[in-house]
Amino acid sequence: MGEEVREKEEFEPKIVGFTCNWCTYAAADLAGTSRKKYPPNSRIIRLMCSGRLDPMFVLKVLLNGADGAFFSGCHPGECHYIKGNFYARRRIAALRTILKQFGLDNRFKSYWISASEGEKFAKTMKELSEEIKKLGPNPLRGEIL
Amino acid sequence: MSKGAELKSEDLAGLFKGLLENKVVDCLVLPRRAGEGGKNVSYILVRDASKIDSAGAGTAAGVSASAVFAPSFSVNAANILKGWTIGEKVGLVAKPCEIRAAVELVKLKQMDKESVLLVSADCSGAFTNQDYAANADEIGDWLEAGPGGAKAEELKGKGVAVREACEICENRLADEAGADIALVRANGGDGDGGKVVVAGLTERGVEALSALELPLEEKDIERAGEKAKIAEAARKKRESLPTASSVQELEEFLRDCIVCKNCRDLCPVCYCKECFFEQPLGNPVGGDLLNLAALRGAVGVPTNQLMYHLTRVYHVSATCVGCGACEDACPKDIPLTRFYPVVTAKVQEIFNYTPGKEVEEPIPFTAYEEEELEEKLR
Ligand code: SF4
Ligand code: SF4
Ligand code: FES
Repeated sequence: MGEEVREKEEFEPKIVGFTCNWCTYAAADLAGTSRKKYPPNSRIIRLMCSGRLDPMFVLKVLLNGADGAFFSGCHPGECHYIKGNFYARRRIAALRTILKQFGLDNRFKSYWISASEGEKFAKTMKELSEEIKKLGPNPLRGEIL
Repeated sequence: MSKGAELKSEDLAGLFKGLLENKVVDCLVLPRRAGEGGKNVSYILVRDASKIDSAGAGTAAGVSASAVFAPSFSVNAANILKGWTIGEKVGLVAKPCEIRAAVELVKLKQMDKESVLLVSADCSGAFTNQDYAANADEIGDWLEAGPGGAKAEELKGKGVAVREACEICENRLADEAGADIALVRANGGDGDGGKVVVAGLTERGVEALSALELPLEEKDIERAGEKAKIAEAARKKRESLPTASSVQELEEFLRDCIVCKNCRDLCPVCYCKECFFEQPLGNPVGGDLLNLAALRGAVGVPTNQLMYHLTRVYHVSATCVGCGACEDACPKDIPLTRFYPVVTAKVQEIFNYTPGKEVEEPIPFTAYEEEELEEKLR
């Protein structure tokens, strides 16, 4: 293993996740109970629905120095409250367009992961953690804002 | 084709009086000329028709074509009518960006659709009202060829520049706003012998004009070629504006911001009654402030500079009409046009939405397609 790789591995990103109670939160649970391994970088905040995701939450965690953030909810068409994730999708698309302007979009991803997709959850977390590691620490982390 | 009539420009005051006298509306918000030599253009709310006079004789206000079309911007007049949810009818005579803001306010239920009659006037691009007043003789009643034209460039050389928001505005013609009535400057609309075409764009607009017993006929106010030319030049200009492209550059851009929130207060489409940045979390004092400082050891004060603007730009991302009122309002001269309209244009583009253009078109955040935007999520 090269020196460079080892150095990057020392950085353990902090990732804040917002997940819907009815699907991804349960998927995270399932991943846990079925002993799927995934990196422990993510702190998950449970929402009752995608529709509860206020883009301000994401701005706030990124400005407060989180290295990454993600959102995950029920697949489109499968929202417990029928259309929460349809509205959320538009908000997220707008938010990511703004983040993109300022080079922050690659620190915030969204997924659809249902309650039965524990495996997918673990895999997604692994990939996300790798991606954020590659990006390195959030440049705003130590800054006085 | 729209139903309309051609008026002599000096008859425009009579049209407004007629709207009041025939009780088409209970009051009117419109621009007038005031001050030394009538060089200042600002708004009034009129109830009594006798207060309107084309020359501004006696104590009446000088409401004329030369006030309506003047390349002068003071406030976004829609902001004045924000919260107009009473039954009394108000007519708003203003520039397309202001009318578009009013349309968004109607969609946001911050203005009652039945209570407003929107009258949109052709715009040539504008100067700030103070720049206009100081240079009114040179600028005249209308900016020939618009921003970027010979006259505008000549004035720019002397340090008198058209507002950047106007330079990047793609919708400067009256009928490009979701108005009821369009005032089209035809054949040198202001001076002697000038003509103005008054056209009803909606049923309500046509009804209003019919009530005044104007001889309505089919009028072609489409001007597609002119619109395309304006839009193309404006888009090019917008894309060439220097805009922060990293969060560090954005911090630099906002360095002087004192978070006075004047840009919010003067923004016609920023309307929350309980703005987050007035709440304890958004505007922390005392112990809350101390707690915030504990998070990182130190916190910039006033707090939330970046958070405030990033939140606000998201909040207006679908509805920003690019009027530049925020920039005019900033006491620290931060060129906010390079932030709000530029960033929101990118959001509006993904929804293919032009705020205020179509009254019936829902604001993107209040609608959805079952299959869309997946490529924008990851
Ligand atoms: S953000 Fe600025 S440009 Fe956009 S509508 Fe508000 S005041 Fe006008
Ligand atoms: S008006 Fe200017 S100083 Fe005040 S909050 Fe807006 S950007 Fe900051
Ligand atoms: S309940 Fe999961 S997205 Fe609405």
